[in-house]
Amino acid sequence: MKTFTYSAALAGAITLAAGMAQAEVTLSVLIDNNPETVASMEALTAAYTAANSDVTFDIEQRNGGADGDNIVKTRLATGEMADIFNYNSGSLFQALKPQETLADLTAIDGQANVLDSFKQVVTAPDGTVRGVPFGPAMGGGIFYNRKIYADLGLTVPKTWDEFMANNAKVAEAGKVPVITTFGDTWTSQLFVLADYYNVQAEVPNFAADYTANKAKYATTPAAMRGFEHLEAVFKAGYMNPDFGVAKFEDGMRMVATGEGAHYPMLTFGIGTVKQNNPDNLGDLGFFAQPGPDAGKNGLTVWMPAALYVPEASEHKDEAIKFLNYVASVEGCNTMIGAAGASGPYLIKGCELPADVPPAVSDMLPYFQTDGMTAPALEFLSPVKGPALEQITVEVGSGIRPAADAAALYDQDVEKQAKQLGLPNW
Amino acid sequence: MSLRRNMARQRNIGIVALIFASVIFILPFVYIFLMAVKTKQEAALFLFSWPQQWQFWQNLVDVVKTRNYMLLLAYFNSTVITVGAVAMLVIFGAMVGYVLQRRPSGWNRVIYGCILIGLMVPPAVVPTIWVLQGLGLFKSIYGMILIQVAYGLAFSVLLYRSFISTIPRDLDEAAIIDGATPWQVFFRVILPLLKPVTVTLIVVQSIAIFNDFTNPLYYLPGKENVTVQLTLFNFQSQFQSQFNLLFMNILLVTIPPLLVFIFFNRQIVAGMTAGAVKG
Repeated sequence: MKTFTYSAALAGAITLAAGMAQAEVTLSVLIDNNPETVASMEALTAAYTAANSDVTFDIEQRNGGADGDNIVKTRLATGEMADIFNYNSGSLFQALKPQETLADLTAIDGQANVLDSFKQVVTAPDGTVRGVPFGPAMGGGIFYNRKIYADLGLTVPKTWDEFMANNAKVAEAGKVPVITTFGDTWTSQLFVLADYYNVQAEVPNFAADYTANKAKYATTPAAMRGFEHLEAVFKAGYMNPDFGVAKFEDGMRMVATGEGAHYPMLTFGIGTVKQNNPDNLGDLGFFAQPGPDAGKNGLTVWMPAALYVPEASEHKDEAIKFLNYVASVEGCNTMIGAAGASGPYLIKGCELPADVPPAVSDMLPYFQTDGMTAPALEFLSPVKGPALEQITVEVGSGIRPAADAAALYDQDVEKQAKQLGLPNW
Repeated sequence: MSLRRNMARQRNIGIVALIFASVIFILPFVYIFLMAVKTKQEAALFLFSWPQQWQFWQNLVDVVKTRNYMLLLAYFNSTVITVGAVAMLVIFGAMVGYVLQRRPSGWNRVIYGCILIGLMVPPAVVPTIWVLQGLGLFKSIYGMILIQVAYGLAFSVLLYRSFISTIPRDLDEAAIIDGATPWQVFFRVILPLLKPVTVTLIVVQSIAIFNDFTNPLYYLPGKENVTVQLTLFNFQSQFQSQFNLLFMNILLVTIPPLLVFIFFNRQIVAGMTAGAVKG
């Protein structure tokens, strides 16, 4: 009898404690394991908890790449997704079936600060916005070594012909003109993917026609130019002798330390140089991929990942309040403080500090002028073939001619478009 | 004369084989070790070279301390999963194998067919998670142990069944005449005789389960449920990697299976010779 009253009292105490604890929320967060992502999220959550002591966070990391895609999809499908998670925008976002799985964020306060160019890459087919930007935008173009440019008296090229002329001078000086790292096959795609600004400058509705199966790489001369560039560089012998085995880390080291002059890459490579060759960060410069016309040269942009809230989350309201903070200027400055600024953040009124590395400040003018940037094709069209990197390695190694490769890539994307069930394929 | 020449040739072949084996087996370890003691900058060069600056202790401390001592928790989790799953695999594998081998019945073929299917049909992730959620075992260590048992049981039944067929039935009959109950026959007579195959199974399965990456990745999400192979992703990401810490982590993760192997290697040999003398 005595034990009974005792346990009843205990049960009462537990209920009471539970009632009090209800105001305190722990939000689970799932992010990828890039050092910049982790640093940004840790800083954001720490700052948010400091201002709202009743909200704490439980951050879990996942790996990126294909495994990361599977984790996100599996956990959404089984209802085990964290309250907040980060994932790519653009075509990968569309593959999550956003209108069924993700909460609608169109009307939240934070969206007022988000640039429209970002909203379009996290908009579900029904026209609702489902994410807020998380991290800086990246540019796809060509890193160059400022020292080599200064020593040889070269200027930043605006057209492909100027670029090749620069390469010839670099080769004469005994340096590697175009660093190529096919040891990481994904690095081979840059000449094709980063050329998209030039493609859309010439063929404005390429993305829509491409998705509708009306335009093809092989039959659009502007689009095929990316493959031709790869071929031209190989034929001229402008690559490093170990191009078949060199890796991404090698490429960034070579362009930073002046072993080579150019390296086609995305701007996230700045972070790698910061880690591995901090002394050479000042020698690293960046320009957009040159096209046929100097008057129409601009930058192809990779949109940052976004933060999403799953529709099934138990703490949707609290999670959305946190996203409002992430999309504010204050949240943006917190991210810059934690991860540095490797590119512009897509929040209105969020300025980068003045002491950014030169490679970053080289990129900013493109963003400051309207029409000087265009999103990469993968943000405008869900069609991207899985074998592009293998095909570009073949072209870049002189195994397959450019025209042949463009036709083969058109066949490759056909499989993917059919899998997605797009009309007209 | 020709005998001596023969011996010399055999010795030379032995030496060549030894050198060959050490190149294949030792060099990768040396490479891992050298990468693990380098600085971040030097490790990013991926050279098979002597480190210019030794950072063994600092890297070790960095790896262990990362994400609030995640590696230690991972060691604990992986050990619990491995020990639990292997114990169940040995006991249930031996029991099922024994019954299947000793009791001929019409069902045997059906049961054996099911076991072979278990070996051949690849498991699907999402339905398995639904089952675990229905049982309330998802995101728990117990659920993970049961998954490893389910995936490994077919193989261990197969192994035990064929091994038990080499043990003469006379032993069972002698024990029964002496008054042993069925449980006693199995635990006191048969199970001790299964030692060689049990040791083999323990080595093979514990290394496979300890090193498993994909199953914990999908079936055991959550920060506190991390296993050792998943800690590698603290240092390797899509865009940026810290290779010195990654290799230090690999070095630390490789040690426990290596110890198991070295320790049980003696037992394997001992068990085999013991069986040979008795047989």
